[in-house]
Amino acid sequence: MSTTVPAVEIAGLHKRFGKSSALAGLNLRVDEGTVAGFLGPNGSGKSTTIRILLGLVRSDGGTARLLGGDPWRDAVELHRRIAYVPGDVSLWPNLTGGQAIDILSKLRGGVDHAKRNALLERFELDPTKKARSYSKGNRQKVALVAGLASNAELLILDEPTSGLDPLMEQVFTEYIREVKADGRSVLLSSHIFAEVEKLCDTVTIIREGRTVEAGRLDELRHLHRTVVSVLLDRDASVLLGVPGVNELVADGNHATFTVGEAELGGVLSALSSFNPRQLVSSPPSLEDLFLRHYGGVAPASGTTAVTETGTAAAQAAGAR
Amino acid sequence: MSIAAPHLHAAAAGSSSGTFAGFGLSVRFILRRNWLRLLIWALVLAVMIPVVYSSQHEAFPTQAARDAYASVANTPAIAAMTGLPYAAGSLGGILVIKIWMTLAVALGFAAIFLVTRNGRADEEAGRTELLRGSALGRHAFSLANYTVVGGLSIVTGLLITLLALAENLPIAGSLVLGGSIAGVGLAFVGISALCGQLSSTSRGANSLGVAVLAVFYLVRAVADVNAPDTKVTALSWFSPIGWGQNMRPFSQDTWWPFLALLVFAVACCALALRVESRRDLGLGLLPDRRGPGHATALLASPIGLALRLQRATLVSWLLGAVVAGLFFGSVAKAMTSVLDPSNPYAQAFLGGTQNMLNGIMGTFVLFNAMLAGAYALQSLSGARAEESEGRLESQLAGSLARTRWLAAHIAVAAAGSAVMLLMGGWLTGISSNGAATGSALAGASFAYWPAVLLMMGVLLFLHGFLPRLSVSLSWAVYGVSVLVAMFGPLFSLSQGAIKMTPFGAVPRMPAESFALLPLAVLSLLAVVLGALGIWRFRNRDLTGA
Repeated sequence: MSTTVPAVEIAGLHKRFGKSSALAGLNLRVDEGTVAGFLGPNGSGKSTTIRILLGLVRSDGGTARLLGGDPWRDAVELHRRIAYVPGDVSLWPNLTGGQAIDILSKLRGGVDHAKRNALLERFELDPTKKARSYSKGNRQKVALVAGLASNAELLILDEPTSGLDPLMEQVFTEYIREVKADGRSVLLSSHIFAEVEKLCDTVTIIREGRTVEAGRLDELRHLHRTVVSVLLDRDASVLLGVPGVNELVADGNHATFTVGEAELGGVLSALSSFNPRQLVSSPPSLEDLFLRHYGGVAPASGTTAVTETGTAAAQAAGAR
Repeated sequence: MSIAAPHLHAAAAGSSSGTFAGFGLSVRFILRRNWLRLLIWALVLAVMIPVVYSSQHEAFPTQAARDAYASVANTPAIAAMTGLPYAAGSLGGILVIKIWMTLAVALGFAAIFLVTRNGRADEEAGRTELLRGSALGRHAFSLANYTVVGGLSIVTGLLITLLALAENLPIAGSLVLGGSIAGVGLAFVGISALCGQLSSTSRGANSLGVAVLAVFYLVRAVADVNAPDTKVTALSWFSPIGWGQNMRPFSQDTWWPFLALLVFAVACCALALRVESRRDLGLGLLPDRRGPGHATALLASPIGLALRLQRATLVSWLLGAVVAGLFFGSVAKAMTSVLDPSNPYAQAFLGGTQNMLNGIMGTFVLFNAMLAGAYALQSLSGARAEESEGRLESQLAGSLARTRWLAAHIAVAAAGSAVMLLMGGWLTGISSNGAATGSALAGASFAYWPAVLLMMGVLLFLHGFLPRLSVSLSWAVYGVSVLVAMFGPLFSLSQGAIKMTPFGAVPRMPAESFALLPLAVLSLLAVVLGALGIWRFRNRDLTGA
């Protein structure tokens, strides 16, 4: 993978709108053939990043490369090779959904009629209705059909499932898996953790225009502690002295704590001497990773992740 | 649903429950959102009174001069365009001839645009849904809308009365002058209230309102052209503009048509509210039709899409140009048969029959150019709407260059305005019974194309540098340019000054002879401004509303 050009490569990206700073040193990489999750709360700069990648907005500093090209200068050529699905779809009110799909597809190069019709059927969308009468979900489907019907090398999806019901989200998930199987790349901006966990190989978490966490999802999990919940035959405060036990919350015989990957063996052998009755261990979920950066903690000064104060997140995980 | 009229009274009495709950809040909200627009409309219209009065006072300083004017004032052109000159021998009567129709029609436009802006446009954008979701009665916002815009009519009328009184015009006449203009405004509040309920889009509501206004204007024009002497005809009562005219300020000073206009407005508003309670939010009375499930190859091209988006605008403006052209032609035709070349006053004031005809033809051509300019601006602002409403983003995310997208919209506006100019001029000529030829007037009309292009250049320039303000600012530039070209002499502007403005610079053929230089300068300015704007647009961020 290192020999090919990454689909997206962003380093130290900056963008200001008047006095407010939208991006302040954002890094993002999408390798060819991978699905990259792009996570951040509302207003953290996800859409601005995507608009820069699409050449709709110009960056103030840093570098951004799209399929090896300059997203601003080479916009027209690059856009033949990408498909974009916005999260807030605005259509021509007096044109039909089918007309809008064809217009958007044609601008990208052409319409694959077989694919288009299959998608219309799967998404249960009536293309003869005027866009004015569509609900938000149906407008979203128009953009999805136009985007997914293409054979683009890279799909840029900005919260693409907003407004979709769970059944339609499922259809979307299947299509993205097909895209990935074809060896095409996807940049998926979202704030639905389950969707990202299901689909993405890598994850980039941003906060206030900065990347705070990035890497392969499985590797990120390794960096973080497993959450353990145990029921012992005695008062759980005995765990206080065990090396490797962090963020202990003891309540009678029950305890939850976190433990790093390296200490897991030692902790387990110590636990066995306390006769555990129940033991549940769970790897950190994406939500935990995310909440670590947003759990009411002051903005991180660097871009490294783990803070010792993420108790809220740990408790939230332990309570499950 | 009960009948809406009793509710009106309940709301007026300050009821705070039921379908009018939140009426007062809605009024304050609308005022807050529109105060600047309301203020500008009221002031600009009212200020016309002292401005025009002083210029007419200068033009006709003595009673002898006014009497002389009165003997030639009643031409079909005047009757058709501004109404019957029933009191041309007095300053008040001259004031009515010069400005009454402009003020009444402008107030009608204001009513249509404002009622739509706060009514159907909000509903289309989903803002009404947000408001209705709160503890707001079903009719509160609509009634507040009609009340505020009705209030604008009344306040404008009062200002006109006060400013007329300040010029020492008779009290009764001044009151009736303000009342007659306010009454026409009120009538169009009612008409646009209905339009906003019938059409499901703000564009449709505005077009319908403007079309109704045009029809009522034509009805009274036909009535006035065919009137014996300056007597009121029965046909003029079929138009609310005619009702206003028939109040005859500074002559008969008839009061009751104002009450009739008021009743008409209240009845229309009550009917609109009744329709509102019977239809679903977001819909008009007519259900949406289905359309084709596929786009044709043409529609899927930038120029095809721009044409499709502007189709309704283009067709309605072209229709307007056809009607206006035929109307002007028939007025000119009437002039040839009515004008008496031996009338010494016609010679003195207007330089003889042929010159007078040419002068009037020049005015008709200018009017045609004004229509073409308005079309060009409305059509080209569609490009900005694509950007501000977020649809441009998806198009540019496809393989479409910004310049290519914008070029399609420019082409539709430029070509459409050229067709309007040629067709309007030609139709005026061929229907004028020999007063002018079709080709001569088509040429005279087409000479305004550079001025229209300059309006587009201004919009493109602003679209590049000040996208958010571009549409309203370029309409302001257009408004001032048109006012100066049409009414420059009324504002005591010198010919030299008028010649420095876009529409004033164009030689007013057939009265004036063709001159290349001003057209070349206008074209050059248009190209330079347009190119700067396009260059800037290529290099700026896309901006939302």
